[in-house]
Amino acid sequence: MVFMGPDPCAECEQMLQPFLDRELSEDEFAIAEAHLDECGYCRKRYKFEETLRRYVRQAVVEEMPPELKQKLAALRTPL
Amino acid sequence: MSEVQPETDARAIAEEARARVRFEEEVLELADQVYRVARRLVSTREEAEDLVQETYARAFRSWRSYTPGTNLRAWIFRILTNLNIDRGRREQRTPTTQPLEEGDYFLYNRLEADAGSDDERRILERLSQDEIVHALSEVPHDFRDVIVLVDIGDFTYQDAAQILDIPIGTVMSRLHRGRRILKKELAEASVGESA
Repeated sequence: MVFMGPDPCAECEQMLQPFLDRELSEDEFAIAEAHLDECGYCRKRYKFEETLRRYVRQAVVEEMPPELKQKLAALRTPL
Repeated sequence: MSEVQPETDARAIAEEARARVRFEEEVLELADQVYRVARRLVSTREEAEDLVQETYARAFRSWRSYTPGTNLRAWIFRILTNLNIDRGRREQRTPTTQPLEEGDYFLYNRLEADAGSDDERRILERLSQDEIVHALSEVPHDFRDVIVLVDIGDFTYQDAAQILDIPIGTVMSRLHRGRRILKKELAEASVGESA
């Protein structure tokens, strides 16, 4: 997919999501990892993305109201 | 032979009733997860409750179409997303325009500049829970459905593809674009606040 050309940080940015989703091939993963080892700029942004995903998940999860559970149980087929 | 038949029938009926009860119990155990996803597919709590009730009413009605031993979670979420798509098409007939998106580093760059810090936790503290909820709701349906299934429902790409009846490549591209759109919305929310 990518090889580190003249703008490795731009390429690394392209790989951020597939990297965190573990979608990259082994070769691509190794390329991204080698760049991240030496580039604090990209490392920070990868770390941020990881934390952001957790943060968004916590923010948007809303638990089911208990009355709804009872309503659903009432929809069951009577025996 | 005619004496054996009623007994066999009775046994078959009892067996079917037991299988149905088992099915209903298993599907009810998934209700918390179904609600969490439903809540973010639609705008309001009331809509989410209606959608979940419709989903369960249909699931209980059509339980025979579920093949035991296959992925029950994917089966019930497929009912949920289909019902939601039907409802969405009724309510929102205007075609969704393709929103602009920025690169994956855009949000960090924007927030870092505003926060004057590169600590990711301090940067994230600039976003309130309401802003995040609102930003997600601004992501167009096709993209949001995939984000919600994968990032909140914890489905694999394969399962999300099966649930939404789209190719796995489309799941990936919608997920990647959807997350970028979400980050652009979050950046706009944070800028609005600091302005």
